[in-house]
Amino acid sequence: MRKNFARLAMFAMAFMLVLSACGGAPTTAPAAEEPAAEAPAAEQPSQEETLKACFIYVGPIGDIGWTNAHDVGRRYVDDKYDWLETAYAESVPEADSERFIDRFVVEEKCHVVFTTSFGFMDATLAAAQKYPDNYFFHVSGYKRAPNMGTVMADFYQLYYLNGLMAGALTKSGKVGYVAAHPIPELVRHIDAFALGVREANPEATVEVNWIFAWYDPAKAREAAEALIANGVDVLAFTEDTATVVQVAEEYTAKGQPVYSFGHYSPMAQFGPNSLVSGQLVDWGILYEDILTKIHLGVYTTKNLETVDYWGLLSGGMNLGAPVSVHLGGDFDTPINPAFESQLKAVKINDPILGEISIYDLIFKRIEQMKDPAVLFDPFTGPINDQSGALKIQPGQRLTVFELNTIDWFVEGVIGKAKP
Amino acid sequence: MLEFILAAVRAAIPAGTPLLYGTLGEVYAERSGVLNLGVEGMMIMGAVSGFAVAQTTGSAGLGILAAAIVGGLLALIHAFASITLRVNQVVSGLALTMLGLGISGMIGKKFVGQPLAARLQPIHIPGLSDLPILGELLFKFDIMVYLGILLVPALWFVLYKTRIGVTLRSVGENPSAADALGVNVAFVRYAAVAFGGMMAGIGGAYLSISYAPAWIEGMTAGAGWIVVALTIFAIWDPRRALLGAYLFGGVRVLQFRLQPLGVSPNLLNMLPFILTILVLWLSSGQAAKRRIGAPAALMTAYSREER
Repeated sequence: MRKNFARLAMFAMAFMLVLSACGGAPTTAPAAEEPAAEAPAAEQPSQEETLKACFIYVGPIGDIGWTNAHDVGRRYVDDKYDWLETAYAESVPEADSERFIDRFVVEEKCHVVFTTSFGFMDATLAAAQKYPDNYFFHVSGYKRAPNMGTVMADFYQLYYLNGLMAGALTKSGKVGYVAAHPIPELVRHIDAFALGVREANPEATVEVNWIFAWYDPAKAREAAEALIANGVDVLAFTEDTATVVQVAEEYTAKGQPVYSFGHYSPMAQFGPNSLVSGQLVDWGILYEDILTKIHLGVYTTKNLETVDYWGLLSGGMNLGAPVSVHLGGDFDTPINPAFESQLKAVKINDPILGEISIYDLIFKRIEQMKDPAVLFDPFTGPINDQSGALKIQPGQRLTVFELNTIDWFVEGVIGKAKP
Repeated sequence: MLEFILAAVRAAIPAGTPLLYGTLGEVYAERSGVLNLGVEGMMIMGAVSGFAVAQTTGSAGLGILAAAIVGGLLALIHAFASITLRVNQVVSGLALTMLGLGISGMIGKKFVGQPLAARLQPIHIPGLSDLPILGELLFKFDIMVYLGILLVPALWFVLYKTRIGVTLRSVGENPSAADALGVNVAFVRYAAVAFGGMMAGIGGAYLSISYAPAWIEGMTAGAGWIVVALTIFAIWDPRRALLGAYLFGGVRVLQFRLQPLGVSPNLLNMLPFILTILVLWLSSGQAAKRRIGAPAALMTAYSREER
C-alpha cells in the first residue's frame, strides 16, 4: 500500500514539474488575433496578397515603456491596412531569439520579421542569411544585409534637451541616471544628456547607476534611491518602468524635491509635480513607412543593405521618413508648465546666440535640429571624455556609425561606460 | 560617511523584510522536522496573489491576507506529500518552487506593467517619527516592517517558553518520543508547514505590494533560496533570523550604493549568493558541533509502524 502511494506521489511530482515548466516558458503565445485558420499563409508569399509582419519583443507588452510602444505601433498598422496581418511574441529571452525567428518564418509563414532589441542583432543577421527571401528589420542595432534593414527612433537629441532642463533645475549640481544595460544606445543617451546638463550648468555631474535589467521595478527603485542618497536631485533613466518617476514624485511629495524625465511612454500621470519632460516615440508611422514600401515593392530582399531608419527630430537620415520622436512627458506637452518659469529664469551665454534663457534655448535647439540647413548636433566638438582628453575635435561631428557604436562617456559623467 | 551608512541601513530594512517573513516561517517548519524547499514558489505565489487582490480590491491589507492564504495552501501540498505520503522532502519542495514560478507567471500576466494603486504607506508614529536622525532611520516604515520586527520576540517566546514551542521542537527532535507522549506528530507538522507557507506568502506580497510595488514575472529572483540559507544561518532561532535578514537586505542594497565608488556591479550582483555559500559553509562547521545543530529529525518522515 505504502509503495503504491509513493509511486503515485512520484507521478504527481513529475506531472507538477511538467506543468510548471509549461507555465514558466515566457509567453510564446502569439497575438490573440493570429489567424491560424487563414489558408493563404501556407502558400507562396506574394506581394499582392496579404503581407504578414511578425514582431519579436524583448519585454512584456504590458510594460510602460519600450515594448508597449512597439506594440502600439504594431496595432496601429494592423488596424489601418487590410492587406496586412501581424503576430508577435513577447518577453523573448535574447539568447532564445533565433528559435523564435525560425518559428515565425517556418511555421507562421511571416514575410517580414521585426526584432526589437539590441540583443537580437546577431540572431537576426543569421536569420537574414538563412532565409534570403524574407525581410528582416532590426531595431536599435547597426548590422545590415541585402534583406535586413535597421530601424531606430533615437532619443539622443531629446536626452540632450532634457539635459539642458536638468542642468538648469539641479540645486545640488548632481544629476542621476538609472540605466539598464551598458550598450551603445544607453551610452549615447547618457552622453547626450550629460552634454545638455553641462551646457546649462558646466559644474554639474551626471552619476550613472547600472541595474542590468530592462524591466525590474525593485532594482530601479533601489538604484534611484541610492542616487538620491548621494545628493542627486534630478533623475533621468533608460529602462522600461515608470519607477524612477514614481520615486521622484514620492520624494517631492514629502518635501525633498527630486525631478525626473519620462521615458518612452507618456508618464506625466505618475509625476504631476516632479516630471519635467521626457522622450516619446511613435513607432507606428515608422512601421507604416516600412510596410507600405514593402507592399508597393519599393523595398525588396535585395536592397535593404542601405536602409537605415534613424528617426530623429529632423525625420532622420532616411530622407522623407516621418518624424517619430517627440519631446515631453505627455504628447503635446513638451515641458511641464509647472517648470516653465524656473527654466525661463536660468540664463546662459551661448557663443552664437548670446544671453538666452534655457527655456528659449530648448526651442531654439529643436528648430536648429529640425532645420536641414543647420542640423545642429549635440555631438559636435570640442568634446572631452571622462579623463578630460579631447575626444572630438572642434567642429567635428560623430558619424551615425560612431554614434551607433559609442562606448565612452563624456566629461562630467561619473560611472563606467564598460562596467 | 555617516550619512552613507544611515541611508544604507534605512534602505536595508525594507529590503530585508521579505526575507525576514520567509525565514521566520521556515524556522518553524524546519523546527517541526520538515524541510520546505518550496519557499521560492510560495513567495512568488504570495507576490502575485497579493498584488492581484490588492489591485482589484484597492486594499493592501486584503492583498496580504490573500497572499498568506495562498502561501499556506501551497505549503499544504508539500505537507501532504512529505508528511502523509512520506516522499522525499527535497523533491517535493523543489516541485513546489517550480510549480509556483510557473503558475505565478501565468496568472500574473495581465498585471504586468500596472503600477499599484493601493501601495502600503509609511505610518507616522507621533513623537518617534519626528526624532532627529533616529526618526528618519527607524520610524518611517510601513506597518509590515514593524509587524515583522514584533513577530521576532513573539515567535521566539512561543518557541522556547511555551508548551506549544516545546511540542513543536520535540516533534522535530524526536517524533517517536513525542508520539509516545500523546502528541499528534502529523498535526503539529502540518500546522508548522502551513504557518511557514503563510509567512512566505506574506514575504512575497511585501515585495509586490510595498517594495516594488509592481508585479513582474520571477520578481522574487532567488529570495526564497536565500531564505533557506538564512534559516540555517539563524540556527533555527527567530532572533538570529532578524539579524540575517537585514544583513542580506543590506548586501542587496549595497549593489547600487557601491557602484558609484567604482566597485564592479557584476561582483556586487553575486554578493548575496557568495554570502549564501559562505553562510552554509560556516554554519555546517557549527552544526558539526551538534550542540546547536539542526533539528535531529529534520528531513525524516515519521511513521508509527517503522518505530
